[in-house]
Amino acid sequence: MDISRKSKPTASQIIFITLFLLYMIIPIIATYVFSIATRWDRSILPEGYTLQGYRDAMKNPYFLITLKNSLVLSFGSVLVSLLLIVPTVYWVHLKVRLAKPLLDILMILPFGIPGVVLALALVQVYNFAPLNRSPVLLTSAMVVFTMPFMYRSVSNNLEAIDIPTLTEAAQSLGANTIDILVKVIIPNILPGILSGSLLVFATVFAEFTLARLIVGAGFKTFPMLLVEYTRKDGTIAAGLSVISFTIAWIVSLLILWVGGKGMKTSQDVIKAH
Amino acid sequence: MRRSISQKNRRAAWLGLLPFLLFCLAFEIVPILLLIRDSVFSKAGTLTMSNYKQVLAPLYLKSFWNSIRLSGITALIGTVAGLFIGYSIYRWPSQRIRNLLITLSDVTTNFAGAPLAFAFIIILGSNGLVTQFFLKSLGLKIYPAFSIYSFSGLILAYVYFQLPLMVLLIIPAFGGIKKEWRESATNLGADTSAFWWHIGLPILAPSLIAGFVLLFANAFGAYATAYTLTGSRLSLVTLQIGFTITGEVLHDPGIGQAMAILSLIIMGTSIGIYRLAIIRAERWNRH
Repeated sequence: MDISRKSKPTASQIIFITLFLLYMIIPIIATYVFSIATRWDRSILPEGYTLQGYRDAMKNPYFLITLKNSLVLSFGSVLVSLLLIVPTVYWVHLKVRLAKPLLDILMILPFGIPGVVLALALVQVYNFAPLNRSPVLLTSAMVVFTMPFMYRSVSNNLEAIDIPTLTEAAQSLGANTIDILVKVIIPNILPGILSGSLLVFATVFAEFTLARLIVGAGFKTFPMLLVEYTRKDGTIAAGLSVISFTIAWIVSLLILWVGGKGMKTSQDVIKAH
Repeated sequence: MRRSISQKNRRAAWLGLLPFLLFCLAFEIVPILLLIRDSVFSKAGTLTMSNYKQVLAPLYLKSFWNSIRLSGITALIGTVAGLFIGYSIYRWPSQRIRNLLITLSDVTTNFAGAPLAFAFIIILGSNGLVTQFFLKSLGLKIYPAFSIYSFSGLILAYVYFQLPLMVLLIIPAFGGIKKEWRESATNLGADTSAFWWHIGLPILAPSLIAGFVLLFANAFGAYATAYTLTGSRLSLVTLQIGFTITGEVLHDPGIGQAMAILSLIIMGTSIGIYRLAIIRAERWNRH
């Protein structure tokens, strides 16, 4: 660390961090408490607590349908992303390093394309059955949208291990390409694959724009149900928000956990050389 | 002979990228290119700028003005506040607290869209907790001067995901300010403000510019938060493009296409500046 740190934080540091924490945490805590409050508009603290909001939310037939749709969409996107990106990144690292700049540009593109623009472009091109307004088209859009997350996680992990040496060692022992990929490379880049998958999963699960604009009411997702309830019933909307927040927290913590382990494995690999 | 074989192999190796490249072409590149083509051709097939001329109508011009203003203001607030908060985190004595605050930023910058918008309705809606607290405890009526469903409310909700993003971007940049430089500056008689003005800020400048344009693009492309909070009360570029798809507000699809291409240009320029600024910023961190 280059700037020296004192043993105690200064007053201005404490003020900045406190304000930051209040801003970041109050909306989340308020949502959690609101979702279990009976009435909370006359007093500082709620007048009572109840789980009725959650019971009402689960009674809605759309609750399970949208949850299922969102899970199918998220797992589907992760699967397509894995099948498409992981072999490609491996191939680029091993065989066609010249293609890396091309891949880098392709991975920046999604950052420059707003969700609404991608949705408009896809809806206008794929305006014929069976692709039009279909979950398949939506999955493709989600894969494009989340491509950089998978690419960066896997690519960083691949950079940290010595692929040519591992591949040559496996080849000299008589392994074929598929064997090398499944038995040697994948176990070594598992942390990158896992954190990429978790990032894709969390993003797709929370994604609203593409889902609403590409498919709409025909394939209602969990965030779409939530937006619907923000206009109908506050307590239920709060319950659904809590579920979204909680999933986001869990996935973030899992990524941190996997990432920490990933660091360790790649260090171990370097040490092993 | 050998060379031609390896060349052949190399060419064959490119084939391995085919599935991925085809996917990108089919679901990203070609649809965007067709969108550009459609935006400049009339239904009769002649080249025309009429779609772009129609965007000059007050309603659409206003949505660009609103989007640019919202993105600019929230990017500026995020950049300045993120700089101070990032520095406070960077210099916090306890490593554990530092990591905790960075993790919090990492998680909260992804809290966007509908759940975040609704969280702000809970605290700052017309019956919100903070609204009621101000009214009952302090006698302060924040409505209708402020409304979470309006421009001012959107600023507050957008800064929520802009600020932690800037914190994450700027913290590594402080590592570029070497302790020795600070010492030399002090030895040469520079006080704290002189040090920051002549050495600290110039070193941070590329990171600050990179942060600002990334935050700008981040806000400009956002849709879900604005849709949940304002519905159709406020005109933003992304909301207008959304209306073209859903057909909620009837307007010529050509206008939606032209708006989409214009926002691609704005986003592309921002991301381009971001890349250039990041390359400059990395020079300070290399050693």
